[in-house]
Amino acid sequence: MNNTPIIQLSGITKRFGTLIALNHVDFDLREGEVHALVGENGAGKSTLMRLLAGIYRNDEGEYRLDGKPIVLKTPSEALQRGIGMIHQELSVMPELSVAENMFLGRQLTTRFGAIDWQRMNQIAHQQLTQIGFSDMDVHQPLGRYSLGSQQVVEVLRAILSGARVLIMDEPTSALSPNEVERLMQLIQTLRAGNRSIIYISHFLEEVMRVADRITVLRDGHKVDTLNKTETSVNQLVSLIVGHEVNAVLPPTNAHTERAHTLLAVKHLSADVFDDISFEVGKGEVIGIYGAVGAGHFDLARALFGMYRFDTGTIHVESEQFPHRFFSRYAIKHGLAYATESRRKSLLMEEPIYRNITLPHLFRIGKLIPRQKQELSTALPPIAAVHVNPPDPMNKIGNLSGGNQQKVAIARWLPFPPKVFIVSEPTRGMDVGAKSEVLTLLRDFRDQGYGVVVVSSEPETVLAVSDQIIVMSHGKIVARMANKNLDKDALMRLI
Amino acid sequence: MMITTETTKTPAATDSATSTRLWLRRLTALAPIWTLLALGVFFSLTSDSFLRPINLNNILSQIATLAIFGTGMTYVLLTGEIDLSIAANAALSGMMAAHLSTNLNLPEPIALSVGLGVPTLLGLINGIASTRFRIPTFMTTLAMSLIAGGLNTFVSKGRVISELPEFAKFLGSGRIQVPILGEVRVLIIVAVISLLIGYLILRYTRFGRYIYMTGASKSAARLAGVNTDMILIAVLTICGFTAGLAGIVSMGRLGSAQPDAVPSFLIDTIGAVVLGGTALTGGRGGIPQTLIGLLIYGTLRNGLDNISSIDVYLKEFITGLVLLAALVVNIIFSGRAPRDKTA
Repeated sequence: MNNTPIIQLSGITKRFGTLIALNHVDFDLREGEVHALVGENGAGKSTLMRLLAGIYRNDEGEYRLDGKPIVLKTPSEALQRGIGMIHQELSVMPELSVAENMFLGRQLTTRFGAIDWQRMNQIAHQQLTQIGFSDMDVHQPLGRYSLGSQQVVEVLRAILSGARVLIMDEPTSALSPNEVERLMQLIQTLRAGNRSIIYISHFLEEVMRVADRITVLRDGHKVDTLNKTETSVNQLVSLIVGHEVNAVLPPTNAHTERAHTLLAVKHLSADVFDDISFEVGKGEVIGIYGAVGAGHFDLARALFGMYRFDTGTIHVESEQFPHRFFSRYAIKHGLAYATESRRKSLLMEEPIYRNITLPHLFRIGKLIPRQKQELSTALPPIAAVHVNPPDPMNKIGNLSGGNQQKVAIARWLPFPPKVFIVSEPTRGMDVGAKSEVLTLLRDFRDQGYGVVVVSSEPETVLAVSDQIIVMSHGKIVARMANKNLDKDALMRLI
Repeated sequence: MMITTETTKTPAATDSATSTRLWLRRLTALAPIWTLLALGVFFSLTSDSFLRPINLNNILSQIATLAIFGTGMTYVLLTGEIDLSIAANAALSGMMAAHLSTNLNLPEPIALSVGLGVPTLLGLINGIASTRFRIPTFMTTLAMSLIAGGLNTFVSKGRVISELPEFAKFLGSGRIQVPILGEVRVLIIVAVISLLIGYLILRYTRFGRYIYMTGASKSAARLAGVNTDMILIAVLTICGFTAGLAGIVSMGRLGSAQPDAVPSFLIDTIGAVVLGGTALTGGRGGIPQTLIGLLIYGTLRNGLDNISSIDVYLKEFITGLVLLAALVVNIIFSGRAPRDKTA
């Protein structure tokens, strides 16, 4: 084995506007090594990974490949130099055969320029057999196979196009436990074949199993690079979280007894979540925490009639929801929902007031919405949450993310619901906007609303919740009162 | 790392920037009007007959049928869907009305009601099939155009019917005295009423708002409790109805019920609506835009007829070229030229 690292980054800095995403980060990758990259959301993992794969370019520092400094301009250039990336969202074509997917964009041809199916199928089969997946039929459309198998094909595609280095972004987030097991084996096989892997994951147990070395990032800085043998999950968590006080807000004074149950979910099951039960009381905030892919976002959608569930019941106060219902039913019966994607829940081209009256048009006025009436409906919520600037005629797309979120939540106020369901309320916001939105949710709690906060950011859940439910791979793995909890505790559970 | 920084600009800089942008937007939003004016000026310079009142009146009658079609089509395109069955539906509607009143001697109101009812029903089926089974409207309405065409052949047995219900003749080729304007063709009045009602519903009712919302963002509309499936069914039903009305008016204008659809109705309608600035992807546009689009289309068609030096056999080709150019100009000026973000 050669002693020069394949990849060596030194003093890498990347800025987005005034924000420093990576601050003088060093990183190196040796041949035949699995090097894990861990850190919170926003610590700079994705930025570093995109930089390695040629999607971004560094502002400062040096990127060396095989000891020589390089500048990657595009992802395809990175691939030509042997750096392949497996994205969290797979880029396979489910309609094409397994073999075709493996040769996507570089189909083998015969002397006459026709596609050489025989050779393609043969090589595809060979490759699959080598890594222990001989049961896959290379002629079948890839879409017939599970997500795990599709991922395997994507990995092979990268290898067949000459990748010596594979960057895997959260490869297990959507896999079942069995598939995770197979992926772990595949990574061992690849390592034995002298490939190098950069492995990015939230799941520290997995990281401890699969990685040789682990680099921890926090707030754009490299905290440390450790050998697996010298560390533990506990140490990693404390490095990831850091030692400073992280809570944006002081901890809540948790209400102990539930005065009056507003929302009761019993044994709710669908394809991505299983046997979910919980209750939300008057003046109570329930936080549902899970990694991306844990099924908690779809659970929130199901409560609002926008994701089909198979079994289980939903009650709001004494009213049982029918098995299939439409979002308007949920609205009428006292639920309010703000999705994790503001782009999908607001009409960016429309003025603020119209976005506020959108869910209420059927209950304000008659057939014909009058602007005056709409404005008088929209003004109180705009004032209540201090939307800035407060001009109701302003296009909502012109507002900052934090202000858009305030509108998305406050627009339910004109016809007060019983329970607010809010997915990822603080995604992509700066500290000031975050704390404003969280304060807003706590105000709602104090006014007697029930609030469900669904998030993959532990600090968001910790900052507002009275009770916390932790979900992993579609199941509830823990529930507890938010007392003396910290990020370590939550992250260890998933 | 997806944190965006929220920068606050100084008020003065924002003000001047927004006012410039506002003016630019006002100018570009009017792109179709500029196109219309340019075409008008061009044809009045190159042809002596173009600007005569008789000819202008002609343009209006030529686009009147398209205007009725276009009202329904605007609704459908605003939701981001399409209806390819309008031409066949229109022909069927005329044939049904003529067949019932002439061959079966049914009273005229019944014949005309059935004539309007059948395409409306087919529109409803378009909507139900598309939403219930998630078939793209492109396919359901394509199939529907075959079904309507087939029904027409079956009912007519391939024969033209030239004895028409009186009321259809009145709608298509009658004239009435209107104060101030003098004598006006009835079909122009029908077209104006159709556009006006279409406009009022879209502009002022909750239903109209739901149509725009559905087209702009289905997910946002559903989140706000809008049953987007019902909206889709409604607009396709409306489009079926306006196709039926246009069919009866056009039959009255031509003086006979035809066993074949006029395929150019479909292309011309979609062309005119999109030319006006209603987006095929939904959420943007409206009846005023459709009106401008119709006028551009009518001016173009008619203007070329008035330039005697153009080879008759080249007209279609030139129309196509000018149409393409007009579309490109529209899109560039309205700042909607798609930018390739994949690079």
